[in-house]
Amino acid sequence: MKAKFARLLRSGVLCVICLVPAGAMAQAGPARMLTAVNAFFGTLSPSQKQKLSFAYDDQEQRMRWSNLPTTMVPRAGLNLGSLSATQRNAAMVLVATALSARGYKKVQEIMGGDEVLKSQGGGRGGAPMFGQDLYYISVLGTPSASTPWMLQFGGHHLALNITVAGDKGVLTPTLTAAQPGLYTLNGKSVRPLGAESDKAAALFNSLDAQQRSQAVLSSRVADLVLGPGQDGKTIQPEGLKATAMTEPQRTMLMGLISEWSGIIYDDAAATRLAEVKAGLNDTWFAWSGPATANVGSNIESYYRVQGPNLVIEYAPQRGDPAMHIHTMYRDPTNDYGRRLAAR
Amino acid sequence: MRRAAAAFTLLLALAAPAGAHTLDEYLQATLISVQKSRLMASMRLVPGVAVFPAVLAAVDTNADGTISPSEDQAYAHRVLDDIRITLDGQTLAPQLVSAKVPAPDVLKDGLGEIRIDFTAALPRGAVSRKLVIENRHLPRVSAYLVNSLVSPDPDIRLQVQRRNADQSVYELDYTQASGVAGATAVDTVGFGEMFRLGLRHIAEGTDHLLFLLALLLPTPLLAWGGRWMGCTSVRSSLLHIAGVVTAFTIGHSLTLALAGLGLVTVRSGPVEVLIAVSILVSAVHALRPLFSGKEAIIAALFGLIHGLAFATVLGQLGLSQWERAVNLLGFNLGIEAMQLAVVAATLPSLLLLSRTPAYAILRVGGALFAGLAALCWIVERTWGLQTPVDLVVNALAQRAMLLATLLLLAGLICWPLRGASVRRAA
Repeated sequence: MKAKFARLLRSGVLCVICLVPAGAMAQAGPARMLTAVNAFFGTLSPSQKQKLSFAYDDQEQRMRWSNLPTTMVPRAGLNLGSLSATQRNAAMVLVATALSARGYKKVQEIMGGDEVLKSQGGGRGGAPMFGQDLYYISVLGTPSASTPWMLQFGGHHLALNITVAGDKGVLTPTLTAAQPGLYTLNGKSVRPLGAESDKAAALFNSLDAQQRSQAVLSSRVADLVLGPGQDGKTIQPEGLKATAMTEPQRTMLMGLISEWSGIIYDDAAATRLAEVKAGLNDTWFAWSGPATANVGSNIESYYRVQGPNLVIEYAPQRGDPAMHIHTMYRDPTNDYGRRLAAR
Repeated sequence: MRRAAAAFTLLLALAAPAGAHTLDEYLQATLISVQKSRLMASMRLVPGVAVFPAVLAAVDTNADGTISPSEDQAYAHRVLDDIRITLDGQTLAPQLVSAKVPAPDVLKDGLGEIRIDFTAALPRGAVSRKLVIENRHLPRVSAYLVNSLVSPDPDIRLQVQRRNADQSVYELDYTQASGVAGATAVDTVGFGEMFRLGLRHIAEGTDHLLFLLALLLPTPLLAWGGRWMGCTSVRSSLLHIAGVVTAFTIGHSLTLALAGLGLVTVRSGPVEVLIAVSILVSAVHALRPLFSGKEAIIAALFGLIHGLAFATVLGQLGLSQWERAVNLLGFNLGIEAMQLAVVAATLPSLLLLSRTPAYAILRVGGALFAGLAALCWIVERTWGLQTPVDLVVNALAQRAMLLATLLLLAGLICWPLRGASVRRAA
């Protein structure tokens, strides 16, 4: 009898435990972020909260991100290393609510790579330069269900700029990068930007000779063209236009784009993908570098996907192209959710 | 010592961690924007760790380990000399707009970005045009990137971009419709741009600001027997200040219009020296009245000189004659707006303080500071010597709001002491 009651109690507790996150999941992304940000605020001291908070239109803070280590380009906000375990957990829950499951995984793998760099003895004169402690979180504006606010999270090789307004969310501009581009964690191979490489390789390999001659740029592209600090700029598109692609190739192109558009929480990702799809006929794919591209290992070529409100760049870095990659995801018409705020 | 420093740099380069960007290349990324009558270009130059010594040697020509503003400029001109630009086969003359070189210790990590903005006037031509940019700056160590921004002007359509393998040669085919309707739209955009440029020119042109402030310092006061004595009534102070500012405006508008439209041409070197002299004269006048009661006339005369300097800014933009005429107004209004803002921010404090004995401290201190800065500028602009004047003045200018607030607080605190100086004067 007693055992039966205990079992009942246990399953009851289990049920409640399962229902809480399910309830949270049922909420829309911005509502979950709002709950999470308030929970995070609740763990912080007034001075920590002050350090974390910026005005919504603080242009300097908006642009205070880079591919470079935080020791070289200082970030503001709170770094994870300065937080207690509870605070740090609340911060990461907040980041997770802003992202999709695969977006959050990508972020963790990028940070994991930086931890690998740290363990390889990176850094100068003893001061740490890499590692998960050196990622910064900041909030611009007052989190609210109606008025726009921003969450920033990033450090070396990562810059997420998430603007939410009402039920809308925007991820641009966002920088993802990886070094090492391939590492082993707990016996498993990790390629933080593996899908970005594999999907591009598959698309490139599917091009016929004529398509390829249009897609391949004859010159070398040494770095990101629209990296940090190049907000709001639209360059002349180049390469192969999606109108010259077959239907399966267009689907592959959409799949490739979703590697960036799908980093944000699912509802916003779906809205964004529909927007990109509407402009697909004016979307271009350009490739520069070796024509050998294999699914499963990181490509060594630069590529760019550009549409009416989209710029994606994948730029293997000189010296170690397969192991060190920078990527950029932009909407030049919607930096930091400028279109949302204008509504 | 020099050798030790070089060895240290090399050591740092070798010891750079895997994650830092141990690039053996000098990345030169250029974004260009083609407009109807001018080309705007913005360059980012990033020396990798291994090529840093070569780049530093090219910038720090006197090898003192620091990069002075004049070395900034000289290096930017050297880069421009190495870039050949042609439009339809005709060679263009690029003009420097701005140059910014970060400190050597930032550059040496292979992270600092040198920024160079330049422009070139584009001659009229046929509908189909071909622009070629060839960059020959440090070719053995450089990686080049050139891209065109899409033109917001619907009359300009970019057609084909061609580059050689390392992007050191970039060709752009574009078409330019010669519709008059389009020109108006562009010029309206230019107007707003020029207004902001005018605002910025005063806000950042600390020498103009200092002149204006030095000139305003004694305006609430009365000259008596070759000295500054008690103050005049508020009404007459205000009238006096309004007169000085208006006269300065009339003066610089006149020469700005003449030079801006190309009716008068002057070399910028002597004008810059004369501006420094005008600050010195105003500073001395604030100490001891030189031309009491004639401030408006002097302000107008000096305005003529400052207008010539404003015009050189327009000249650097490589505008066409027509664009100049339209944009001149925007630029001048921008200057006026910022000038009025400065007057509005300081006037209440000056009026308050001028009624207290504390004003003598502000007047004498301010005049000495302006005079010293002016002397430094004269030395810099005449003999090309380096002085810390820009460093100090810019540091103060960046805290302009704080200083204006402190001044107002000082005025309020000293207010109870008012009358003392007036009584003494009487």
